[in-house]
Amino acid sequence: MKILVVDDSSAMRMMVVRTLRQAGFGGNDVEQAEDGAVALDKIRASCPDLVLADWNMPNMTGIELLDALRAENNEVDFGFITTESTQEMRRKATDAGAKFLISKPFTVESFEKVLSLVMN
Amino acid sequence: MVARPVNRQECPPALPGFEHVSRSFNPVFEQWTARVLPGQFYVTRDDEIVTTVLGSCVAACIRDTELGVGGMNHFMLPTDDGLRNNDPDGGAALLTRFGVAAMESLVNEIMKLGGSRARLEMKLFGGGNVLGMPGQHVGMRNIRFVREFARVERIPVAAEDLGGDAPRKLNYFPRTGKVMLKRLRSAQSDGVVMRERQYQSSICGNDKTGAVYLFD
Repeated sequence: MKILVVDDSSAMRMMVVRTLRQAGFGGNDVEQAEDGAVALDKIRASCPDLVLADWNMPNMTGIELLDALRAENNEVDFGFITTESTQEMRRKATDAGAKFLISKPFTVESFEKVLSLVMN
Repeated sequence: MVARPVNRQECPPALPGFEHVSRSFNPVFEQWTARVLPGQFYVTRDDEIVTTVLGSCVAACIRDTELGVGGMNHFMLPTDDGLRNNDPDGGAALLTRFGVAAMESLVNEIMKLGGSRARLEMKLFGGGNVLGMPGQHVGMRNIRFVREFARVERIPVAAEDLGGDAPRKLNYFPRTGKVMLKRLRSAQSDGVVMRERQYQSSICGNDKTGAVYLFD
């Protein structure tokens, strides 16, 4: 299974990849992208099974990335991992077709809970 | 950026999300001052001062050097015994996730004001051996974290004053990047220790980390 981790913070990308490993998903093929625009190119090129994206990023935000994917009829499983998680953001995420939102700072348990549901 | 005249009667409106941060007029500097408490952060695009008092906590002062917008956070990593997780590395990963989230909140707000990662400058303060918990140098662990964060994120550290035994009072001017720092005597540190201990208790028992929202 291919997972794409999208975050403009390299420290946060490292933490997400590490937490994936700790939650038992280390055997998957994990790629990284530093913003939504780079992620869009990578998704077009390598067709991941799951995208884990930050919300606030330069060039293209997480929600803009999701909108762009759905506009191309790309139905890849998509979840947000974000510092802010307001009701308005959750509504936008649901409307755009996201499967979940995990708020930072996240835990290994939160990854286990969500990813075991999504990846099965 | 054009400087606005300072109005000592009327505090400039805080940016959305920062209304809870206490602000007052500083007659010495003739500027409005935002006081950041442990666990808080504050970002401004106005020409104002951001102030805090640090014991074992650390504060990162970050600004976009071209736009003159920036701010400060004030945090510590949770202590090991406050962690209730099964991380194979004994909780160090959760500590780091907590710290990265604290730093990211500050950077995100600067980016929302038009800041660019390539123009960010960081100044680091605090991490004193003030809380004095047996077997744990809380400050040293916070110092290691902020230095590592700066290295991984490739944000240049323009200045730092970290470690030691004394609490620090910090005045940060995000418009220019200037910092005025005063080391406090131990007699002045009781309030600092009390606030940091309260903050430490609140983050150790925090069950709000990693909230999950499933949409299906």
